[in-house]
Amino acid sequence: MQDWWRGATSTSAAAALMAALLMSVSPAASQTEVYKASRTADGKPNLNGVWQVLNTANWDLQTHAARPGAVALGAAGATPAGIGVVEGNDIPYRPEAAAKKKQNFDNRLTADPEIKCYLPGVPRATYMPYPFQIVQSPKSILIAYEFAGAARTIYMDKASPSPADSWMGHSVGRWDGDTLVVDVTSMNDETWFDRAGNFHSDALHVTERYTPRTPDALTYEASIEDPKVFSRPWKITMPLYRRLEKNAQVLEFKCVEFAEELMYGHLRKQSSK
Amino acid sequence: MNKRFLISMGGLVSAMALLAPVTVVGQTTAPTTTTAASTLARTPDGKPDLQGVWDFRTITPLERPRELGTKAFFTAEEAAAWEKDENKRQNRDLIDPEVGGLMYPPGGVVPYNEFWYDRGDKVVGTRRTSLIVDPPDGRIPPLTPEGKVQAEARAKAGRETQLGHPKADSWEDRPLQERCIMGLNAGPPMTPGAYNNNVQLVQTPEYVVILTEMVHDARIVPMDGRPFLNIPQWKGESRGRWEGDTLVVETKNFKRETSLPGSSASTHLIERFTRTDANTLLYEFTVNDPATWTRPWTAVVPMARSADPIYEYACHEGNHALGSILAGARADEKAEAAKKGSK
Repeated sequence: MQDWWRGATSTSAAAALMAALLMSVSPAASQTEVYKASRTADGKPNLNGVWQVLNTANWDLQTHAARPGAVALGAAGATPAGIGVVEGNDIPYRPEAAAKKKQNFDNRLTADPEIKCYLPGVPRATYMPYPFQIVQSPKSILIAYEFAGAARTIYMDKASPSPADSWMGHSVGRWDGDTLVVDVTSMNDETWFDRAGNFHSDALHVTERYTPRTPDALTYEASIEDPKVFSRPWKITMPLYRRLEKNAQVLEFKCVEFAEELMYGHLRKQSSK
Repeated sequence: MNKRFLISMGGLVSAMALLAPVTVVGQTTAPTTTTAASTLARTPDGKPDLQGVWDFRTITPLERPRELGTKAFFTAEEAAAWEKDENKRQNRDLIDPEVGGLMYPPGGVVPYNEFWYDRGDKVVGTRRTSLIVDPPDGRIPPLTPEGKVQAEARAKAGRETQLGHPKADSWEDRPLQERCIMGLNAGPPMTPGAYNNNVQLVQTPEYVVILTEMVHDARIVPMDGRPFLNIPQWKGESRGRWEGDTLVVETKNFKRETSLPGSSASTHLIERFTRTDANTLLYEFTVNDPATWTRPWTAVVPMARSADPIYEYACHEGNHALGSILAGARADEKAEAAKKGSK
């Protein structure tokens, strides 16, 4: 078999025949460069599934060495080293915004909204170390995130205007070939991009692109525009991996109860003096 | 406060836009689950298409008011008269705190004025006098001895709160909805409440997601027959199946109570969703909690199709109330101590 293969590919005519054969019998084995995703009943790329990143973007979008975290947690609270997900590794802060970012970084162990179990916003919800599920129907695509039970609907059929600024924003989607493109606007200025204090204003406009690259991976890109904070648009890119466990499931992480001591502990009744 | 206010404004705008669909509920006739099943919209895999936003506001109470005795249904005239009286009785702006009214005792506080409410103002289309259809008296069945102890403690705590002295040694003394962990009407099971009476359903062949506006809960219901993990969750663990054209969702493994005050973690809940016509999703739930009630009971809530989206209700993020309740309790203690000291 092996020898036959080598012999056959040594002549161009046989190679062409082989290619034609492979194309018709087994498309997966062909040399097609662009992966063609499986389809939903309405013919759209099927993004349904439980997905999760495998990176350190939630600790710091940029390339970083390991560093200590909350002292009480020792090694368990430390920041793992990581390769950045920002194109060019540079986040183009305006000068005054760079100072704010540094201040956020210095106060990160208390000021990060994740600590308070606040809704994480977009794009951060995508790369937190928790799974999320895409539930795709023709008129709307729902993304349910495990962290804080955050959820958002991506409207595919009608783009009614956003009723008000919100934590998870207003998402309007469209298909660009096999890529789901989502415009996210109307977010408030309360969320951060990561635990390193990267932040934005309420002028944030995120354009997300979800592109199937294999049956079990998507490429996620998010372009960030926010003229109040950044001097130019910038972009992050990372793979999203399918959780392949047969019983993969987004479970409940209602984290409010884990943040209450921190938020309200000073208001607890002191034991009798 | 500001954030919550904004979102509530969204809710009110939605209420105004929804007056028409609510009227449609008012016209719905008695539920006949087999009606025109063949003409209903279906998903590509042939299941009834339950997707969209559904509005479950109504002024029909969960339990039949005692004064109605054995009367299970209103006539059209009776329903109109009852709606008029009940809408007036529910109107917080008409309650004088000194006199009291509804659940507010005389001399207490009426914490939310009418601005905050987005409840239903129409009875259900069947004109049934309660959402509970079983037991036949329309009332929650008698409590078990254990259920009675819990109910009395809850009633006492509620009275203290309404009188302006909530027990608040810590947040753990406060109900789950004040902590934004659970929203009463968010369920499971869903029951009409003060505001955010909206739910969105999204279906794939493998999952149904039930997204409630209250506390942005997305309940992901696997439809593939997978076993329960048997881990406690606030919303329990849900598994779904189709029985004919009815979506049946079974939920157990609650962490504490369900959305029903007084229920226990051992609650076994069955919810049934049936699309009875283009504009109606009939929602029926049966609660079996032998620790609390002496028998299972069932309620039916008609949901009306809504053209509006679900809004984000960032409850915890805008929760200034919980900190203020705790701070108020500490201030009361300080004042009490000062009074004792001066004597």
